[in-house]
Amino acid sequence: MDKILINVLKEVQDNDGYISEKAMKNISVKYNVPLAKLYGVATFYAMFKIEKQGEHIIEICGSPSCMLNNGQKIEDFLEKELKIEVGKTTKNKKFSLYKTSCIGCCDEAPAMLMDGKPYTNLTIEKIKKILKKY
Amino acid sequence: MKIKLNNKYIRVKEGETILDICNSKGIKIPTLCYHKSLFPEARCRVCLVEMNGKLVTACSTFPFEGAEILTKSERVIKARKRNIELMMPKNISCDIHDDFEICDIFKEVGLNEERFESLKHYKADLGASVVRDNNKCINCGRCVQVCAKIQKVYAIDFVSRGFEEHVAPYNENHLADVACIRCGQCIVNCPVGAIAERPHINEVVSALKNPKKHVVVQTAPAIRAALGELFRIEPGTPVTGKMVTALRKCGFDKVFDVNLGADITIMEESAELLKRVKTGGVLPLITTCCPGWILMMEHFHHNLIPNMSTCKSPHEMLGSLIKNYYAKKNKLDSKNIVVVSIMPCTAKKFESTRKELKSAVDYVLTTRELGRLIKMKGIDFNNLEDEDFDPALGISTGAGAVFGASGGVMEAALRTAYEFGTGKTLTNVEFKQIRGMKGVKEGKIDINGVEVKFAVAHGGANILKLLEKKEDYHFIEMMACPGGCIGGGGQPIYRDPDVLRKRMEAIYQIDKNMPLRKSHENPIVKKLYKEYLGTPLGKKSEKLLHTTYIKRSRF
Amino acid sequence: MQIELKTSLKALEKAKKLGPKGVLKRLDKMGVVGRGGASFPTGRKWKIALETSSDEKFVICNADEGEPGTFKDKLIIKKNAETMIEGILIAAYTIGAKRCFIYLRGEYDHLRIELETKIKEIIKKSGLAVTIEIIRGAGAYICGEETSIIQSIMGNRGHAMYKPPYPPVEGLWGKPTIVNNVETLTGVSQSILFDDWDSSLRLFSLSGNVENPGVYEFPLGVKMSKILDVVRSKNKIKAVSFGCFGGFMKIKKNMEITHENICKEGCQHGAFSMIFIDETHNIVDVSYTIAKFYTYESCGKCTPCREGTIRLLERIKQVKEGKATKKDLELLKEFAEHVQETSLCGLGQSAGNYILTGLKHFKSDYLEYLK
Repeated sequence: MDKILINVLKEVQDNDGYISEKAMKNISVKYNVPLAKLYGVATFYAMFKIEKQGEHIIEICGSPSCMLNNGQKIEDFLEKELKIEVGKTTKNKKFSLYKTSCIGCCDEAPAMLMDGKPYTNLTIEKIKKILKKY
Repeated sequence: MKIKLNNKYIRVKEGETILDICNSKGIKIPTLCYHKSLFPEARCRVCLVEMNGKLVTACSTFPFEGAEILTKSERVIKARKRNIELMMPKNISCDIHDDFEICDIFKEVGLNEERFESLKHYKADLGASVVRDNNKCINCGRCVQVCAKIQKVYAIDFVSRGFEEHVAPYNENHLADVACIRCGQCIVNCPVGAIAERPHINEVVSALKNPKKHVVVQTAPAIRAALGELFRIEPGTPVTGKMVTALRKCGFDKVFDVNLGADITIMEESAELLKRVKTGGVLPLITTCCPGWILMMEHFHHNLIPNMSTCKSPHEMLGSLIKNYYAKKNKLDSKNIVVVSIMPCTAKKFESTRKELKSAVDYVLTTRELGRLIKMKGIDFNNLEDEDFDPALGISTGAGAVFGASGGVMEAALRTAYEFGTGKTLTNVEFKQIRGMKGVKEGKIDINGVEVKFAVAHGGANILKLLEKKEDYHFIEMMACPGGCIGGGGQPIYRDPDVLRKRMEAIYQIDKNMPLRKSHENPIVKKLYKEYLGTPLGKKSEKLLHTTYIKRSRF
Repeated sequence: MQIELKTSLKALEKAKKLGPKGVLKRLDKMGVVGRGGASFPTGRKWKIALETSSDEKFVICNADEGEPGTFKDKLIIKKNAETMIEGILIAAYTIGAKRCFIYLRGEYDHLRIELETKIKEIIKKSGLAVTIEIIRGAGAYICGEETSIIQSIMGNRGHAMYKPPYPPVEGLWGKPTIVNNVETLTGVSQSILFDDWDSSLRLFSLSGNVENPGVYEFPLGVKMSKILDVVRSKNKIKAVSFGCFGGFMKIKKNMEITHENICKEGCQHGAFSMIFIDETHNIVDVSYTIAKFYTYESCGKCTPCREGTIRLLERIKQVKEGKATKKDLELLKEFAEHVQETSLCGLGQSAGNYILTGLKHFKSDYLEYLK
């Protein structure tokens, strides 16, 4: 049966936090996929990272629903609090901050994913509490 | 089935795209990402036409019964223009003198507005053979497809997505740092010149200007069959004489013919074949004239190293003889000799940097670069008189000439091997079964009671096919580019695969018109072995004409 | 809600009794159509796959619900995955597929483990020799498009492909493949088992500046005023955006929500995701969010979408920053139309809706920002 490449990459992403060149080379040999193609696939999907990430990945929802419900304020606060721009990792390598198109929590906007787990109806107070937990 | 094309009813066959239909009716549709030998991906959206009020791409759309198609409506023209405007922002202009397809598109489609500034800031990819500039790239995907599907090398792919999407080797590496075979097929498939050969014109020009340097040029067999195309001469017209004259006018001190190198290669290689067949050496013996194939072997199939012929490629052999034999004979210091090879090939640029080859060749120019050099020097190529190669190392045979086409090395080798092996004269010298554009070709010949089986493949995908059954043969010729050297990555850019067939015909025409058609009959070859080299595979030959290979990473 | 009705493998039993052709007939009779937006009759899609002969066929359940403002499939997966899985099994039985997939969007990965358990349970109970693998999406909106989903499962970049060939003829690994979304497949099971199944009931994902956002079930033709009564808002609602792709529509309280009525406004309803925008917001600001979305989510394959969406973003940004003139609005309109008319797939073909409808219905919002 054909192995599903995207699931293989996802497992590596889950286990290592990113898909390193070494991991890609291993997959390339194991599944006989050209490395250039593998790199192309890995860079196509937003959730695959090819650089080392922070311990936790925060994905802020960027949908219009969240934007209409103070999503921008949440984004600004996170950037200020973590002292990084969206797309970057904190100095202590604890958090990486990203913005996604939509996480499907529009009825509980604004929302974000922390390591894939949704946090909804966000307020600045709530985020402070969440960050402390991690 | 009936359709209405530009308000005229016509009958068409089912299974033809709108583009096929228009081509057969003489209606020109501009195309960019489309290429006859590739799978249509409908990326560029330049071949738009109107079908029943909808804009569709002609390359990928099959009309339905009764469809009404307009190819020149105002809406169509405007839509095409806007797509060109989007892909070619105003600060990215094209290099007109190389006659890229995009320039034709500009002429056909026209551009009266340039409203956008380029937003791309890619670093250039530099290497010894192939260089890329993603800022010019229009993401047509032809290079990716040719590399992955025709060559099966897969050194590049699209990376990232959306506006950030671009072509790159893995990890944004330079092509020079990955398992790229430098065949340059991406270059001849690029419509905008975003991929090109690493230029060496400036280096050659300054050597020509330097009075201390004795600059020798040698031209590969495939050049004469294609150079004319750069000067709007009908494809398939040999321009040997004009080419020699032009090279003299460019200021080269001597103009030699790589075909002589090819004849010497045949002497060595057929001796190698006969020896391996006789002594039970490693078989099949595989040819090594093609540096793209050598790289392919070293990266992906290095278990084949024992099978490889140890012969250097023809221009490296001749280069070596120029710097040794010719230098000595003419009392020249080899340090002051500059050997320039004109090659249909970008991989030859890489080859000339291989340490094992000890800089026998200093610079390699592609056919396209030679065209540029001739134009730069203001030479009126079309009106040149014909001249002959310099006699010292310039006499060759038809056997050397056929090296330019897929199957040629094999054919030339067989002509000599047969006569060496049997002591008899070969009357019919043409091996038709290994000529032509078929991907894998094969045949057999009886040499002293041994049935020698041989096979030929050209293009990476065909090479892989042949490798699967390599054990069936004694002797195999591999060429990385489709059609062999005539279709090389350094050749003039062509759009119609038929051009390759015409170039191939030119090569065989040249062979047919040669007074000598077997390498071992070449008087210079005879003289060289008598005066200098001794015997094929002898001590001196081994030192000057043979080489080694290395294992490289598959990445 | 109708969508929550469980079929408990009785629909599959009934399907087996009906036989493949009987299932197709039943689907046609019950009026089952695709719920992803195109409303293609499900029975017809399956018929093509059934009639295309092949040694292997595939079923893909599209759970890559990526359209911003849409979250109804999440609700189904949470509350009635059993019935959806049964729908997959019915599809597999009908067309003769052995290998099925659920393409679960990466953002819903938190639902995966539970879903996997349910799949195992139900397959075991069903006794069918069918596998259902979960494909873990990795964050690409384009993979909701059926040709992209196929590319993605095959291990390629999720580039859209032109059609034909259509997936029911040539899909995964060149074999007949049907792609249906979560809501459709759930409806398949329900429509087969329940004679009173109502094909006009649709799930609406309602969000934005409203007090009661959520997934609701309404019949097609429901009045806008009824929807507004349910969701309620603090401020006056002035516009509704159908996800990101469907465009902005003015609120007309008496309007009946039907395909035709929405098309008349120049909008597309898609999967009925309605993002309500109140009068404290300018359409240009929302458009800026949508423009960023398109630039980010375009797959990059074709020129108008790749190069066009970024130009739209560029100009919308200029408008927002007060640097644009009326001429820029003309250019916006010209290229919004161009991207829609000449793009390869549905993503690009809808990538100008928000501008065209914004300029049509909310021009004053734009004019407010001009130099």
